Amino acid sequence: MAGSRGDERAWIRGAQSGSVPDLEALFRHHWPRAYRAAYLVVHDSAAAEDIAQEAFLAAVRGLDRFDRRRPFGPWLHRIVVNRAIDWSRSRALRRELGDAWLGLVAAPASPESEHAQTLAAALAYLSPEHRAVIVMRHLLEYTPGEIAEALGLPRGTVNSRLRRGLDELAGLLEENLQ
Amino acid sequence: MKRWDDPAPDERVAGDRSWEVVREAYEERIRVPRKRDWRPVAIVAVAAVVVAAAVTPPGHAVLGSLRDAVRGERNASPALVSLPTPHSRLLVNSAAGTWVVQSDGSKRLLRGYHDASWSPHGIYVAAVRGHELRALEPNGAVHWSIGRRGTIRTPRWSFDGFRIAYFAGPTLRVVNGDGTQDRVLTRDVRPGVSAWQPASHALAYVNAGGNIVVRDADRPTHLAVIRTRLAPRQLQWTTNGRLLIAVGSHTIGIFAPRGPQLRRIDTGAATIAASSVSPDGKSVAFIEAGPDQSSLQITGTGAGPTREIFKGAGIFSNVVWSPDGRVLLLDWSSARQWLFIHSVPVKRIAAVSNIRANFGTEPSLVGWCCP
Repeated sequence: MAGSRGDERAWIRGAQSGSVPDLEALFRHHWPRAYRAAYLVVHDSAAAEDIAQEAFLAAVRGLDRFDRRRPFGPWLHRIVVNRAIDWSRSRALRRELGDAWLGLVAAPASPESEHAQTLAAALAYLSPEHRAVIVMRHLLEYTPGEIAEALGLPRGTVNSRLRRGLDELAGLLEENLQ
Repeated sequence: MKRWDDPAPDERVAGDRSWEVVREAYEERIRVPRKRDWRPVAIVAVAAVVVAAAVTPPGHAVLGSLRDAVRGERNASPALVSLPTPHSRLLVNSAAGTWVVQSDGSKRLLRGYHDASWSPHGIYVAAVRGHELRALEPNGAVHWSIGRRGTIRTPRWSFDGFRIAYFAGPTLRVVNGDGTQDRVLTRDVRPGVSAWQPASHALAYVNAGGNIVVRDADRPTHLAVIRTRLAPRQLQWTTNGRLLIAVGSHTIGIFAPRGPQLRRIDTGAATIAASSVSPDGKSVAFIEAGPDQSSLQITGTGAGPTREIFKGAGIFSNVVWSPDGRVLLLDWSSARQWLFIHSVPVKRIAAVSNIRANFGTEPSLVGWCCP
């Protein structure tokens, strides 16, 4: 089956020994979720592209040291989500400092996507920290324990953020998300 | 929970673009696992060639004639003591870093920087250090920096100072003037050439196909794709933004803002080494480089003849206008001189020699600031 754990190990082994097709298979398999996770946290397609791309570049740099027995996804997603949170925080800070005179020039979201219209729009009302745990739980399907480890948070904090974030999101999305 | 599986905006195209970047980084990693330092071998080889040339009678004659031919202007000042335009400043790149030269002749080295350029009013300098683009004051105080993968080069400020375009590896990026909102503008680009249209955030650059693209940097909008065979190595706008000047190896094309080509100046076999549009937008000065001599030419952007302003042996590297448009500064690199050529036609030339002694190796003029 394409994308199984065995495939992933083979791709990593191949990439470590110089195989471009194996690296591409690994990239194509993980790109959609990495990009989607970044996008749902930052709400800026250009920034999401940069964040996901840089995570893969970090993966390429660390490829030789990567332990093939461990899954690739959690390692990649941890980088993506933490960078996305950092990016969102820094953008919020810049707004507080008053760069309105520059005009906001972030690439506008394409209107045709369901994400742009519903889920992403609703997530935008939450804080980056709440967005991140919800995205990790429901898009990337990690357990609260795994999220806590990836984000360096106590498990109770993850649970409370999930609960509050989902309550708020449920109100915004009404029937779609429950 | 079906909508978690919906693709995010631009997911696929962003993936395709990013795969190219990741593949390039990966292949680079495979290709150059270790570096061998070939410099000692190269130095020995070059030294052998020079010695061989110098000790043979024909070689001796060639070296002698070159030295005699490229002696530059006589009565040159041994040092740059002032600039002819008050309250102006020069920017000079060199192997040691970037020099900021004040109108009183005092100068400061921003060590380790390269590819510097002025902000619109000369308050800041955008320059590259390692893998970072930095905005700094002419005194060296860094305001912000941003790190990027790949070689960073040719930062250019928009005319209102709110945007900087620069190349990072194979991509053209744009960042706000305060260092925020850094983003990829395009990967369909030939790195190294870009120019902001005045009074707008329209950026002209050369795409991978060699055509000129004019694009709004704030929106995903191509304002124009101007098809040309010029293979431009330099793009400049007139200050009113009504003309775009594209300089190829042997041709200068003058275009309307969104095309078409309005005028074409061909130099035949001579190569165009550099060019500069006058501050009033009415003239273009350019350097024609022949096999053993160079000449400085000037022509109108609208119409009119092309006139030779100055001719000399060896290589002219660059030419820039003073901010008031009254002086042309010509970098006569093989004579190691700068010539301040006052008004057109030639009335007076003030030469400064020992440029390499003043600025170190590989000095190159960048810009003369500011209106």
